Amino acid sequence: MLKRDLILRNPIQTLAGEAESILHAGQFGGILARAGVGKTALIVQIALHAMLHGRNVVHVSLNQPVTRTNLWYREIFGHIARELQIERAEALWEEILPHRFIMTFRTEGFSVPKLEERLTDLIEQNIFLPRMLIIDGLSFEEPPREALAGLKHYARLNELGVWFSIRTHRDEEPATGGLPRQIAEVEDLFEVALSLVPAAEEVQVNVLKGASLPSARDRLALDPATMLVKSRVS
Amino acid sequence: MKKDIRFVRNIGISAHIDSGKTTLTERILFYTQRIHAMHDVKGKDGVGAFMDSMELERERGITIASAATFCEWKGHEINIIDTPGHVDFTIEVERSLRVLDGAILVLCGVGGVQSQSITVDQQMRRYRVPCLAFINKLDRSGANPQRVLDQLRQRLGHTPVALQIPIGLEADFQGVVDLVRMKALYFDGDKGQAVRVEEIPEALRETARIQREALIDAASLFSDELTEAILEERPVSEEMILAALRRGTLERRITPVLLGSAYKNKGVQPLLDAVCALLPCPADIENEALDMDRGEAPVRLSSNADDPLVALAFKLEDRSYGQLTYVRVYQGTLAKGETIVNVRTGRKIKVGRVVRMHSDQMEEIDSIPAGYIGALFGIDCASGDTFVSPGLSLTMTSMFVPAPVISLAISPKNHKSEIGLSKALNRFAKEDPTFRTHTNPETGETIISGMGELHLEVYVERIQREYGAEVTVGAPRVAYRETITQRAEFDYLHKKQTGGSGQYGRVAGWMEPLAEGDFVFENQVVGGAIPTQFIPACEKGFRECLAKGPKMEFPVTGIKIVIHDGASHPVDSSDLAFQQAARGAFHQGYFKAKPVIQEPIMKVVVETPTGFQGAVMGSLNQRRGMIVGSQDEGSFCVIEAHVPLAEMFGYSTVLRSLTQGQAQFTMEFLAYRQVPQAIAEELEKKAAAQKKNVA
Repeated sequence: MLKRDLILRNPIQTLAGEAESILHAGQFGGILARAGVGKTALIVQIALHAMLHGRNVVHVSLNQPVTRTNLWYREIFGHIARELQIERAEALWEEILPHRFIMTFRTEGFSVPKLEERLTDLIEQNIFLPRMLIIDGLSFEEPPREALAGLKHYARLNELGVWFSIRTHRDEEPATGGLPRQIAEVEDLFEVALSLVPAAEEVQVNVLKGASLPSARDRLALDPATMLVKSRVS
Repeated sequence: MKKDIRFVRNIGISAHIDSGKTTLTERILFYTQRIHAMHDVKGKDGVGAFMDSMELERERGITIASAATFCEWKGHEINIIDTPGHVDFTIEVERSLRVLDGAILVLCGVGGVQSQSITVDQQMRRYRVPCLAFINKLDRSGANPQRVLDQLRQRLGHTPVALQIPIGLEADFQGVVDLVRMKALYFDGDKGQAVRVEEIPEALRETARIQREALIDAASLFSDELTEAILEERPVSEEMILAALRRGTLERRITPVLLGSAYKNKGVQPLLDAVCALLPCPADIENEALDMDRGEAPVRLSSNADDPLVALAFKLEDRSYGQLTYVRVYQGTLAKGETIVNVRTGRKIKVGRVVRMHSDQMEEIDSIPAGYIGALFGIDCASGDTFVSPGLSLTMTSMFVPAPVISLAISPKNHKSEIGLSKALNRFAKEDPTFRTHTNPETGETIISGMGELHLEVYVERIQREYGAEVTVGAPRVAYRETITQRAEFDYLHKKQTGGSGQYGRVAGWMEPLAEGDFVFENQVVGGAIPTQFIPACEKGFRECLAKGPKMEFPVTGIKIVIHDGASHPVDSSDLAFQQAARGAFHQGYFKAKPVIQEPIMKVVVETPTGFQGAVMGSLNQRRGMIVGSQDEGSFCVIEAHVPLAEMFGYSTVLRSLTQGQAQFTMEFLAYRQVPQAIAEELEKKAAAQKKNVA
């Protein structure tokens, strides 16, 4: 199977509609869920989708070492390869790998200016020109509005789409406006928000804001066995 | 020799270079009264620490060859293998891990878990070696045991359980609090030999209480008795805690952590106590051998000294009085005067002298029972050979030996050196399976190959020092390979029927890429198109083409050849004719199969202060490196990249000047990958120029 087919058959494409990617340059997207539901799995699939398109992704992980983050990619890619029965999966993996750069920080050592400094290092030296930034593990308990606004500015300047994984809590009421508390205060900065909700036999992917699901009948869900996104036509 | 196997410990001391393991070993030997003076690794007295028996190691302050040594502590017999810390010598590390039952992972209290520790840890995991961690150098400024504990958890994925807390740190480091016994331990005397047990200082009591609770909590997972005692609020005894910790350690589910400073003689004796209390004895470990008579089916070994013998030669050393072979006995007893069989060669050997090694001194013994490590004299074998009692046909699992990735030409400067060189090469190749040597048939040059620049450098130095051979070496060369990328058909007729005896043979079939393995030959000829007796000749013809690929004269790998048709002549066909035909067929098909050049890619891990991160990434990027990621660790960061070996020559110098000597890197072979077009063209140009020069 060719890369092209892989892109087309990826249910994540549904969220992007006609466009190449869900987020455009300078836009923020959030994936909200409770701990352990599959935020990282979904965000890695979004990253792989971008990598297949040949777009460079910087994956910032705030509590996992590089090897573990890499393992997420390997696992998810392995599942996709098996699911779609890709021949020469290894060669394809080698081909897309250069489009990814993992950066890990300790949670306490992380700050947006520090991240910007590192990214600038990469861009100026022409080492890696990211088109997508993924920030996995940043706490939104008290959303750092100022820092996020700064990052938004940086993202616009450098034409980056930025995805965040945002942890919510089990028994919390949504804020006024229906969005989870964690994102409600900084809602204006986010163009897209998706939530993951565990249901009986799968994890539903709901669109809270932005992104397109062409018809109301299209539903996306994560298969709990492989954590892969699948489209569900109900 | 005592016979109770429960009191035997075969342990290794593994760690990052410079985290102080040789000093630690030295102290252990001193406290166990095997040596009577202590020296430093890079000591001013010029004697050097005891375990580094090779001159070169002494000079570089690193341990290259693992010497096995033996000592006794509180009724336990401990065999220690001092393992090398540099990644280029990992075959040595792996080989020692194979024969160990447990290990001490030494970590630097300042530097913490460094990249080499990660490699060593992975190896320990592969061989499922239970381990203790020893956080060393707590007297140094910047020492922070808590950070190292966190790193153990985060970077190595261990579940560390602290058995001690420090009393003071850095220059004020005085001793440790033993959380199991709830006592403070100080180390008195000019060499720390007297352990003084006191009450815990007031200021640390609360911390100690909390930490002890955490310790008991972790241990209770492995003992119902302990859990019950806690629930019923009965007093928890020292034995209960140790028994639970031991179970957890043996299952590799926890890593007990001890603290100290070997250099300042603090914390070594409690570590020895922990080795005896928590690490496994040989009987705790299941060892398997492969039965050669039953298709290498695994067989469990009994670790019983009365059963037939199974022993592994894991290390050879060339002494002035002949070859010394280190062996680990897994089952039975290896006794003086008995006859044993080398499974690989099938040869019978009579056991002469049996010794127990203490670094480079030795003690004569009569036998080595199961579970023990010892050495034999005057036995001709290669390392990795298995010895058994006559009648058995078992082999210890063969160890994974990676193929060498780098080579260089070496030639003696005079006749005297020629003899020394050949002796040296012969010995090194026997001792170290990753070090190989061959003669280039065209240039007549002697080529040595190994796992990295430093690997070969060390051997070149040893050739000069130990054998007094003066040699000149060529520039290091990367071991490129050729392979094909698509299927291609061939149909070749070799025919010479003019004058003299004729030659006739036709070979047809196809070649295709092979995902795993170097070469597969398949015969699908039916109906005698090629008579059966000529099929081996065809295979031989193809095989001969592999050594030197038609594209760039690099070895060809990853290729499958299938023949399905051909023709022969009743008189003119011969082995030679079909070999020629196969060669012709190979050349015919090869270029249609789109051959490419592959080069070895190394996994490079650089640790650098954060300030130099950009510069280091730049340097890797310039070297065609693909940076996998960077890991921020506060004051320093770890960068992982995949870089072609060809670009890594001299990188240590570059890195040093880029970072004011503050960064270090490790490198290991990752995979073979296709060379980019531009580089391939350059290589082709170079090869063409070389050919011209030769002509």
